[in-house]
Amino acid sequence: MITAEQKPFDEIRGMIAPYRRLLVLGCGSCVAECAAGGEKETAMLGSALRMAAKMNGEDVRIEEKTLDRQCVREFVVLLDETLDRYDAILSLGCGAGVQAVADMYPEIPVIPALDTEFIGETKDQGYWVESCVGCGDCMLYEFGGVCPLARCAKHLLNGPCGGSMNGRCEVDPEQPCAWQIIIDRLGRFDALERLEAIHPPKDWSRKQGRGPRKIMREDQQR
Amino acid sequence: MSDRLLKGLNLKMNQPENQTLALFYCRQVPGGGEAERRALERRYKEALRLFPIPCSGRLEPVHLLKALEEFADAAYVITCPEGACRYFEGNRRARKRVARTRGILAAIGLEPERVGLITGSPETPRTLAEWVPEIFRQIQHLAPSPVLATAVR
Amino acid sequence: MSRLKHILESGAFAVTAECGPPKGADPGVVLKKADILRGRVDAVNVTDNQTAIVRMSSLAACSLLKGAGLDPVLQMVVRDRNRIALQSDVLGASALGIRNLLCLSGDHPCFGNQPQALGVFDLDSIQFLQAVKAMRDEGRILGGEALSSAPDLFIGAAANPFADPLPFRVVRLAKKIAAGAQFIQTQCIYNLERFVEWLDRARDRGLTEKAFILGGLTPLKSAAMARYMKNKVSGMDVPDDIIRRMEGVPKENQREEGIRICVETIEALKAMPGVSGVHIMAIEWEEAVGEIVERALLLPRSDAPA
Repeated sequence: MITAEQKPFDEIRGMIAPYRRLLVLGCGSCVAECAAGGEKETAMLGSALRMAAKMNGEDVRIEEKTLDRQCVREFVVLLDETLDRYDAILSLGCGAGVQAVADMYPEIPVIPALDTEFIGETKDQGYWVESCVGCGDCMLYEFGGVCPLARCAKHLLNGPCGGSMNGRCEVDPEQPCAWQIIIDRLGRFDALERLEAIHPPKDWSRKQGRGPRKIMREDQQR
Repeated sequence: MSDRLLKGLNLKMNQPENQTLALFYCRQVPGGGEAERRALERRYKEALRLFPIPCSGRLEPVHLLKALEEFADAAYVITCPEGACRYFEGNRRARKRVARTRGILAAIGLEPERVGLITGSPETPRTLAEWVPEIFRQIQHLAPSPVLATAVR
Repeated sequence: MSRLKHILESGAFAVTAECGPPKGADPGVVLKKADILRGRVDAVNVTDNQTAIVRMSSLAACSLLKGAGLDPVLQMVVRDRNRIALQSDVLGASALGIRNLLCLSGDHPCFGNQPQALGVFDLDSIQFLQAVKAMRDEGRILGGEALSSAPDLFIGAAANPFADPLPFRVVRLAKKIAAGAQFIQTQCIYNLERFVEWLDRARDRGLTEKAFILGGLTPLKSAAMARYMKNKVSGMDVPDDIIRRMEGVPKENQREEGIRICVETIEALKAMPGVSGVHIMAIEWEEAVGEIVERALLLPRSDAPA
């Protein structure tokens, strides 16, 4: 899932300041999972913004709505009928959601309420951690299911570095050394010799792309 | 009844003029039944709005925020004592959610004490009717909410 | 030609030291350090934006040292440059007459004075070693395209006998040597016992036959420095009895004690088969190098040309 966190309240207030009729738009997918932009958080933010407006004597109309997903056209078009009620949309979607809405309705400003962060997993309630950088060339087989690009601070492919102590990473001692995990994991599968060979340089072009990357699937198109 | 007498009565009940309290309470709170609720509503009139909930864990920050947005100078919740929650963690969740709401109030520029959480003590349980004046005493110092300033009171 | 390579291959015990470039553009600072170290060491490492702190570039400082008659060891980290820039600088270094190269990962940007910088890490240190070896021995860059002329470099890598996991450290050492490392400089040694454990494993794998190992040393200036290195610097192993030893002498004698410990460690290393020299990292205390080398009976250094 994609994770995000809500921007500071003052920053949001600053961005929406010019607008009198605002739609606060939530998303029921990834950002709901990480408690940043789902229906609950959208209701909370809407209420907070209305209260702040009242306290400052601002005459604004702030309403809320949550889509199942903001990044899929089929859900975004549901806004068609309602949009002339608003001057701007405050989107609690991830960066993809914000832009999908903005691309669909270029005539209305779409403002991000969240800072989108990483592709990750819900490790525990209230705890999300990055695990994939979207490199386009998955090497999880070679590393026992642990990605050194996402989980090693220096994304070494022939790690560990000299700063791995007691299974902790020197860059962030709260984090485990990914290479320690890789070694333990492959050791358990009796596959440590996979690490004897030198892993060649990464083909970063699959991640870098030539501008925004895309996938086109004819078999999926109308 | 004369105005002076009415004012005196209000003070006796520890209810400053024109303050409105939204009070959420778990059904396990002693004296939280239907009859008691109606009696309290008659006594306090517009100053008190009561919201019984199955468990304080069902309280969401948005309930507190909406209350403050629409009619309340303060919004409180009464939970069961630690360890006594019928659904085990409800009171702990309520505590976290009240804390989160306080953070949001601070970001808006409202006093965080406009929301609060009351936990009964297992040894000396108080009834809902006993808590109400106590809570009004706690919020007494709060000015009328600037959110409601333009509303007709 | 590389004086360091010549000395190591002749079987003599080599001495290298480290020189930190200034946080400024004044070449005089580098040349002053050159004067302090000349004649006391065989080669001088120049660090590459160590701890992710912006300093005069290692390549420039090495060129200055070369001009001053020393044999520089160019340290290159993979943190700041992609493979295009790395290979380019390798060609440039060789063109400037620099004959020793140490390939390193580098400290993460978050530790330095530019924490907002993007850490590149296009290649890791082992892939970089491999690339340099191919440039030198096969005259080609990554991807196979031929160079018009190959660089001439003595290639080295760093090793940390004190990091975890211990058994795998020697596998990594083997990978570095297979990739092209001809000499290894280790993290500074205070825990001789652990160092010996690592060295034994390396020897068992035949690695001491394949590469020259230089034991790293950093003289302690004070008990406070010893404690700092123990607690605040990752990858370090400073045993408690070293701390106690430093704390056991009055403040004004602590530098002397630190040098004494250093000299004793050198004596131990001299006697170990598989150790071909020492690498003295006297950070901002280059003056100590001369004294240490003299007291460890490692003077005079050979006059082999750089």
